[in-house]
Amino acid sequence: MSVPYRQDMPPPGGFEPIRYKRYLPFKGPSGAVIFGIAMLISGFGIHGVGMANREKRELLREKTWARIHLVPLLMAEGDRDMYRRTHAALEREKEIMKDVKGWQYGGKVYNTDKYIPPSIQI
Amino acid sequence: MAENKTAADPLTPVPGDPLPPLQEIGTTSAPLKSAAYFIGDACKEFNEDFMLCKNESRDPAHCLKEGRKVTRCAQDVLTKLRAACAAEFQAHWDCLEWNNQYYYACRKEERPLNACAFTKLGYKKEIPGVPEGQQPIHLIEKPYFRRQQK
Repeated sequence: MSVPYRQDMPPPGGFEPIRYKRYLPFKGPSGAVIFGIAMLISGFGIHGVGMANREKRELLREKTWARIHLVPLLMAEGDRDMYRRTHAALEREKEIMKDVKGWQYGGKVYNTDKYIPPSIQI
Repeated sequence: MAENKTAADPLTPVPGDPLPPLQEIGTTSAPLKSAAYFIGDACKEFNEDFMLCKNESRDPAHCLKEGRKVTRCAQDVLTKLRAACAAEFQAHWDCLEWNNQYYYACRKEERPLNACAFTKLGYKKEIPGVPEGQQPIHLIEKPYFRRQQK
């Protein structure tokens, strides 16, 4: 019995390429992409902080002007009260010191014409 | 001291004062803060006059007349507000009272009050010094600062 001669050959179409590269599953976006996303999120946050700071400044402006508008009103009321109190203190002084000869009523402590508010409650 | 008791009491008027007694404004801080911009708008002349007078002299006796005008003007504003926008005014200053007197916490109540005061009484709310092209803070629809609790 004889076997016909047959040259051993690669399969038709050739061998499959050898897989010498590591074949790993996709493990997520690259570092650069993650960095970019982080920068984007931080950017939004920083923008928000900036806008909020701007708004805070305007809120402060609003509050300050509300107080400025009320200053004359409150000051006028305080002045009237102070005027009355000063007068009453002077009257009390007159009453208390009426027996002392040569007493100067409402004597000044400071050598100036400027108004100096009293340093004690009168 | 009995005959001089009235003069010694700081709360009685000064005898011989040429100016008639004036009803003090007697309003607490929240309604004042609520009406501050309307007072500032309507009483601008009197306020500035008073402050210029105070600039001349800090003596309380120096600016009594100007001070009375300031108080009467503010009283007038508050009376008008109470007459024309009672519910809105009350709602707004109640809100200020409950929210540490922060304007930003009470925009919901402020808008109807402003609308009422602008249309019925002709007042304005203008914040001086707002940067060019920027919306005044009380008109911003979606502010960053608002009440945390809804």
